[in-house]
This record gives sequence, structure tokens and C-alpha cells, in this order.
Amino acid sequence: MYRFSLPAFPLDNRRLVGALFLAPALLYMLLLVGFPFVLAIAFGFSDVTVGNTDLNFVGLRNYLAVWENDIFRQVFETTIRFTLVSQVFILIFANILAIIFTQDFTGKWFARFIFILPWATPVSLAMIGWLWMLDTKYSPVDYLLLQTGFLGPNGILSNNRNLFWLATPDLSQISVIFVQVWRMTPLATVILMAGLSSIPTDILDQAEVDGSRFMRTLLQIKLPLILPIMVIALLFSMITMFGDMTVVYVLTRGGPVDYTRVLGLYSFQVGIEGGNLAQGAAISLFAFPLLLAMAIFMLRTASRAEVR
Amino acid sequence: MSIVQLSRLKKYFGAVRAVDGVDLAIDQGEFLVILGPSGCGKTTLMRMIAGLEKPTAGQIYIGDQDVTDLPPRKRGVSMVFQSYALYPHMNVFNNIAFPLKAQRREKKYSKRAMRDKVESTARLLEIDTLLDRRPRQLSGGQRQRVAIARAMVTQPAVLLLDEPLSNLDAKLRANARDELKDFQRSSNITAVFVTHDQIEAMGLGDRIVVMSEGKIQQIGSPQRIYDDPANEFVATFLGSPSMNILSNEGFRFGFRPEHFLPKTLQDNPENSRIFRYFVKRVEYLGSDRLVYGYVRGHDSALTLAKVPSNVRVSLDIEVDYEFAVHNSDIKYFDRSSGQRIEQQTLAQSD
Repeated sequence: MYRFSLPAFPLDNRRLVGALFLAPALLYMLLLVGFPFVLAIAFGFSDVTVGNTDLNFVGLRNYLAVWENDIFRQVFETTIRFTLVSQVFILIFANILAIIFTQDFTGKWFARFIFILPWATPVSLAMIGWLWMLDTKYSPVDYLLLQTGFLGPNGILSNNRNLFWLATPDLSQISVIFVQVWRMTPLATVILMAGLSSIPTDILDQAEVDGSRFMRTLLQIKLPLILPIMVIALLFSMITMFGDMTVVYVLTRGGPVDYTRVLGLYSFQVGIEGGNLAQGAAISLFAFPLLLAMAIFMLRTASRAEVR
Repeated sequence: MSIVQLSRLKKYFGAVRAVDGVDLAIDQGEFLVILGPSGCGKTTLMRMIAGLEKPTAGQIYIGDQDVTDLPPRKRGVSMVFQSYALYPHMNVFNNIAFPLKAQRREKKYSKRAMRDKVESTARLLEIDTLLDRRPRQLSGGQRQRVAIARAMVTQPAVLLLDEPLSNLDAKLRANARDELKDFQRSSNITAVFVTHDQIEAMGLGDRIVVMSEGKIQQIGSPQRIYDDPANEFVATFLGSPSMNILSNEGFRFGFRPEHFLPKTLQDNPENSRIFRYFVKRVEYLGSDRLVYGYVRGHDSALTLAKVPSNVRVSLDIEVDYEFAVHNSDIKYFDRSSGQRIEQQTLAQSD
């Protein structure tokens, strides 16, 4: 009979290993999410500017000033409108595409690959592409419309040779929403595809034997079953869109006038470009309670739907 | 009268011949069990009857109609899956009502008639108090009843059951088997039941279809396929422990362990075959003793005997005994094809 023991090995310690595994995520959260967030809150209650970085507490002054600002109100409204309208289209398109991409057809792999590109392309790069597509003078879209008789003298849409995609109040808003939908649909589709393919085949076979046709299976079986996942997809794309500034920054800079100015862009323009850090922070934080409430509500809905 | 008729039915998945030429007639009101090891094609066969799988070749008739190219909803069949496949987001009432709603256009049910049908079917299966529950609030046995109710509510010509008992625990299973059989008898529905469990098959089936490698090996009553197997596969697949198979020159022969008894216990020694049996090990299983050993002259084949515990015979290990099998209990098989052949002369072992 003999006993032997190995020397204590540090990685045998569960607490240590656990902490090590958590560390990267925790560091990321603290440094790149937590710190800027706390800083923004601090800025929002101060009178800090680019020129004077002293933090003097001023209470709610920034928030009151922002709230009384007519431009801000319009920006806030525009942001909500853009987000809601685009979500409707994103959900419709993502559902249709997810259903198509989960069917069997030749070239499915290629179609999926092409389709994911808008999301995989860096935003600014993609936006430069759209900037050209929607150019006031040289837009290829206008060119095609011109060639097919929709534009130009006696054109169906307009007598002009151009539609001025990014320069008229209505079209600029439609353009921005369109581009956002184009950009966000792939992600929502991928999430919904995952949801659809997680439905047990037994359930779908059962529905078929029970006599259910395509639309009934879709509306009464598939959609209710992926509802929790749909809510998550919606949450992702809503929050991304609500805070986004890149699209309008590249396409319109918020113009014409203020028609496409959204919260993210306005905050950037006031805080960074205008140098009023405190007010910029206040503007960006205005959306926070709203987003938080929305996220809590949606996640609750999702988890409630899931346990059914 | 046969209600389902399968004719030269085949289903190939690429090079895999899941179902390879099946002819089968299922009678009105019978309980037919399709039995086979996993991968034998039994589930594929059932899915073809349901219309979930399109045959590579062959015809399916239900009633007098060729339904080979018809979708499931036009076949008058319903199905209970192994997982029960209850719709998790619907309560029990809506689960059972779903096929009625889906087929409403063709069958023209009124709302009232649908409600009545759901409620009467639920009463029949004793789940009428559970109609407001969701599937996750039900026990395994209750889920199974809901699945059967949903399958029965449209009064299908054929009820297809794909291993519906295998998700229940052992105790519940025996009970559920009993109830299922009673229910099928009283409703006089034609049931096709797929399973790999021979006890289930023997207990439930009016007839059993034994399948292997996409082909039907034998069709017959439980007793017939057990006592009179058509080939070596059926002989060894049924029975636990399985039939002893020994090789002889030109043919093979087999006998079941429960027929292989000490000579002194054999009631009819003149009509029996005597073997010298070397006992290697004895397992005491309560009601029986399971004996492992070798028949002299066939020393390479482990041969089992199942001796009732209540007979006073002592069996010591590492000792030769005289064991006997009744001549009619010995089955003979062709060496290459495995098919049953006529009785052969066995050289006396010594």
C-alpha cells in the first residue's frame, strides 16, 4: 500500500479557472461598455466641453435644454419613425426570406451567401456604394428609370432627369429607411432561419398528416413557434438601428435640413463636432430609458413565450 | 377485406434501399405490427403509407383508391409519432381540434360539430378534464392520449403509430399497451403499429410483419412467427435469449433455450434429440436458470438453456449433462439462404 499525491496544480482550482474564463468578457464589458457609459452619464450632468474638460455638476440643466430644443424633438421623432417603419419591413422581408432559404432548391448555398453580404460588408463601405447609387446626378437608378421612360421629358414619375433620392424631404427619408432595411434584413433573416430549422420535423410532419396546408402551417405552427426568436431578432435590429449614425452620416449628414437627422448623428454633431460634450452625452442618453424598457419588455415576452 | 394495399413498394435513399419491394395487404379493423431492428425500413414504410415519403416505385391503395401520388390530407390516415409531436403552443383542445380545422374546408364541419367531436374523443380517452392544459403540463401518458385523440378525431381509415410507447417508462408502458389494444378493439379502427420491441409486437399484434433490410421476412400471428419462423433471421430476432443456432454439414439448425432441457425433464424422450451439453456457467434469474455452455461437437457456438427454477435438477459447472430437445422444436435452415427447410437427419452427438 502506498500513497502519492501530485503537486497542487493551479488550474485545478475551479474558482481560479472560472475567473480566468470570465475575465476577457468581463474586461471587455468594463472597458468598452461600462466605462464609456458611466462617463457619458457623468458628462450628461456636467458642463464639460471640448475646450474645458472640468466636470462641474449642473444637475438636469443639459436634459432640460435638450428637451426644450425643437430640433432635438424632431430628431427624436425621426429616429423613432425610422426605427419603427424599418422594423415592419425588416420583419416582413426576413420572414419571407427565412422561409425561402429553409426550403430545398438548387443554388441555395449561393443564394444564402449573396444574401448575407449586405450585413457582412462594413457599414461605411456599403454606404459609400449607396451614396453613389442614390447620387443626385449620376444615380444608376435614375439612369435606368430614364431609359425605361419613367423619368425625363414626359416621364411617368417626373419630368426631371433625376429624382434627387437624398435631397428631397420625402425621398431622403424613404432612401434612408430603404438602406437600413437592406442592411438589417440579413441578420434578422439568419436569426429566423435558425428558429425555423429548430422546429422539430415531427411537428411539421404531424401538421402535414393532420391535413394542414402551407399557409396554415406557417401561420398557426411555424410563426407561433418562432415567436420568441422573432422577438430577439426584432430587439437586436431595433437597438442597432436606434443608436446607428453611420448610415445617415455617410448618406445625408442629416439633411436635407433635418429630415434624416437621427439621435446618434445629432449627438455626435452636437457633442463631438460642436464640441459640447455635455449636451451630446445628454442627447445620447435620452434614448437609454426607452431602449432599456423596450429590451426588458421584449426579453420578458420572449422568455414567457419560450416556456409555454 | 383489405383496407390498405401495398404493391411492390420501394424507397431508395441514394444507394440505400430503405424499403425494397414490399407487398402487403392490411385488413379492415386489424392491429398490424411492423417489427424489425432499427434501420430495417419499417418507419420509412409507415411514412410512405402516411404520404410523408414519396415511394421510388410501387403503389399504395387505401380503400379502393390509388393514393400513391396524393398528399397526406387526401388519404384518410392519421399518425401518432414517437415524440407525440403535440403542438406546444396550443392547449389540449386546440391540439385535438387542429386536424378538424385543417380539414374543415373539405369536410364542412360546423364549429359546433367540431367542439362535439373534440369533446367526445377526449372523453373516450379520458382526457376531457385536461382540455385547457398545455402539453408541457401533462405527464407522458397523458401526452400519448392527447396524441391518439388528435389522430382519432377525424375518424381516419387507418391509424399509424410510430413507436408511440417507447417514450413511456416501463411500468406505464405495459398499462398503455393494454389500453391501446382495448381502445383499438372497441373502436374497431385499423391500426398499423411500428416497433422494434418484440414484446410490444407479440402483445399487441393480430398479425406481425417482420422486416429486415427493407424486405418483409415473414407475416403471421405472433404465435406463428415465434413457433414457425420462416427463416433464420425471424427465428433469431424473436425470443430472448434468442434461438441457439448450430451448424451442421449442409444446413443449420436451431432450438430455443426454453426447449433445451435436461433429458430427465423432457416429457417425451423418444421423440427428442439428445445432446451432450457441457455447462460453463449458470445464471439464476428468479423464475428461470439461464445456462451457458457448449453442445459437444459444436464447441465454437455458445448455446443457452433456460431451465425453470422450480424443477429440482442440480446443474454444476464444468460438467457434461444429457440435454434433450423435442424433435418438433428443432428448426432447420438452409446454410446459404437462411430459409427454413424440411427436417434433416442429425448425426447423434456424443
